[in-house]
Amino acid sequence: MSDFLLTQVINYGAPLLGIIVFIGGLGIPLPCTVLVIAAGAFARQGILSWQTTALISIVSVVIGDSISYSFGYFSREKVLRRFSGSPRWAQAEESFQKWGPLSIFFSRFLVTAIALPVNLLSGTTAYPFRKFIIYDLLGEIVWIFGYGGLGYLFGSQWELVSDFLSNFGGVVLGVLIIIVSFKQAWNWQLKKQQPSM
Amino acid sequence: MSTTGSSKQRSLIIILIILGCLLVTFFGLRAFHAFKKFNGHRPPPPASAEIETDVELIRDWMTIPFIARTYWVPEKEIFDALGISPKDNREKSLKEINEEYFPKQDGLAIELVKTAVLAHQPPLTVVPPQTAVPPLTPVPPASP
Repeated sequence: MSDFLLTQVINYGAPLLGIIVFIGGLGIPLPCTVLVIAAGAFARQGILSWQTTALISIVSVVIGDSISYSFGYFSREKVLRRFSGSPRWAQAEESFQKWGPLSIFFSRFLVTAIALPVNLLSGTTAYPFRKFIIYDLLGEIVWIFGYGGLGYLFGSQWELVSDFLSNFGGVVLGVLIIIVSFKQAWNWQLKKQQPSM
Repeated sequence: MSTTGSSKQRSLIIILIILGCLLVTFFGLRAFHAFKKFNGHRPPPPASAEIETDVELIRDWMTIPFIARTYWVPEKEIFDALGISPKDNREKSLKEINEEYFPKQDGLAIELVKTAVLAHQPPLTVVPPQTAVPPLTPVPPASP
């Protein structure tokens, strides 16, 4: 898949990259990070214009993210009908209001595997759209300029950077799962120790 | 909370921790190997950015115009080396070209392109040593 898309990005340039990251923003799993790093390298080689590529990519991915936010927002009624009033839902909403900014920001570039669930959860918990867009935009700017910038810096050796960053994202995801599980276990223990009324 | 509920929750947490550990180990090892390779490389200096000379970086997703531009080799020379016409082939990757024109020889297109690029590169110039080399002194013949 990556190879096919890389060939097409060479042939059709920034507009195609924009379409790919837009689809990625909607939650369709595509190797967007690899393409962004490669696009940085192509910009260094003069194949793409870095200004146009960065602008098109940021606008496209933010539109994609906003649409996936709206999927969550418009399915809120349905979700509320099922979970409304349950303490777990209230806890989820409360947690998202607290951790929303960080999870939106870091899921744009560091743990991209959770970007779609974060977008949907933002919409479903009615996280303010204006705030969502701000953190989303900041995260995507770091993604495009940071990762694309590394591709630009390393030029034709961009594959080395891409290999490392893709795997590093997996490590961060694993660490997050372990932390959340331990926190959940801790809360569960505390709850068990509380004397029942 | 019922006993069944708590045992379910405990199992879920254990499964998640195991999953997290597996992810960390799997991706950690891969990231470590990638870092070892990555660590030996420094970003190329800006002056050499425009012209690539290492043919080992040619991949089968690349198109001929892309390779021509990256390695500063005329497109025609690469198409001639492959024995194909630029018409209808400019947007094809080397993999597609290989599948279409050399279906029985896997990887032939990429090897032909590497050879064509290498043939176009100027020969390596020998840099003279910085320190003066003393002239050879004749060795006296060994006395009988």
